[in-house]
Amino acid sequence: MSLQKPVMRGLLARRLRFHLPIAIAIGLTSAVSFKYMVTEPRKRAYAEYYKHYDVNKEFNAMREAGVFESVQPTGK
Amino acid sequence: MAYPLQLGLQDATSPVMEELIQFHDHTLMIALLVSTMVFYTILTTVTSKLTNKNMLDSQGIETIWTIAPALILFLIAMPSLRLLYMMDEVNNPHLTVKTIGHQWYWSYEYTDYKNLEFDSYMIPTQDLIPGQFRLLETDHRMVVPTDSPVRMLITADDTIHSWAVPTLGVKMDAIPGRLNQTTFVVSHPGVFYGQCSEICGANHSFMPISVEAIPLIHFEDWSTSMLAKI
Repeated sequence: MSLQKPVMRGLLARRLRFHLPIAIAIGLTSAVSFKYMVTEPRKRAYAEYYKHYDVNKEFNAMREAGVFESVQPTGK
Repeated sequence: MAYPLQLGLQDATSPVMEELIQFHDHTLMIALLVSTMVFYTILTTVTSKLTNKNMLDSQGIETIWTIAPALILFLIAMPSLRLLYMMDEVNNPHLTVKTIGHQWYWSYEYTDYKNLEFDSYMIPTQDLIPGQFRLLETDHRMVVPTDSPVRMLITADDTIHSWAVPTLGVKMDAIPGRLNQTTFVVSHPGVFYGQCSEICGANHSFMPISVEAIPLIHFEDWSTSMLAKI
C-alpha cells in the first residue's frame, strides 16, 4: 500500500484563509469595545456635565471655598 | 488638573480640548485595532510549524496590506484636518492678553483698555500654604472671563519658552523676536494650571502658568482693582 502524497502547495494561502479572518475579528472587536466602553461613555459624561451646569452656583461654591484670588469669599 | 496615576489627557475646559480628546480617542481606537491584529499575527507566526527557506511573494496579500493602511490613514486624516481648521477659525476675541516668557517667570499684559501688567512667579515650595499645589502655584494668576474668546499673544524675552495649559488645549512657543497667536474659550470657572513646555535653562521646571477663569462681571471688577493698585 503506497502512502498518500502530502499536500505541498497552497499552505500559506490555507493558513491565511484561516488566520486572517480571526485577526480581523480580534482587531475589530477590540476597536468596537474601546469605542463603546471608553469613547461613547466619555462623550455622554461631558454632555451630562454641561446639561445641568449652573455657572453661578459652581462659581459661588468655589468663591466661598476660597479657590479664587481675584474674588474674595463673601462669607455667606 | 493632573492627578496621580493619570493615564489619559486632562479633562477638557474648552470646546477645542473636548474635540481634541475625541480625536485622540478615535486615533487610539484605530491604533488598538492595528496593534491587536499585529500581535495576533506575530503570535501565530512565532508558534507556526511551517518553514520555507525560499523567497515568497503574493500579489494578493501585498495589495491588501497596501490598500488597508492607506484607508486607515485616510480615516485618521479626515477628522485631523477638520479639527486643525476648526482650531484656526476666526472667532472675534473679546479680550487680548499678551504674555512674555522670561527666565524664569511669565509676565502678562492686558492692554485693551488701560495698561495692566504684572509678573507671575512660581510660589516656592517652602512658602506654600496647605491646599496649594507644589510647583504649580504662582503669586499672580492670569485672570480671564469665562465663555469669552481670549486671544493670547505670546513671545519671549531671552530663550525660547512655551506657554501651555493642557486642560484648555493650548500650547504655543514663546520665541524671542516673534509674536505667536492662539485663542481659547474657557467653558466654566475655575483655576487651571500649566507648565513651561520648552527647555529654557536651570529653572525651566519652575515657571508654571496658572489661569483663573471667572464670570465677566467679576473679571471687570478684578481688572479695575488691579489697575487701582498700580
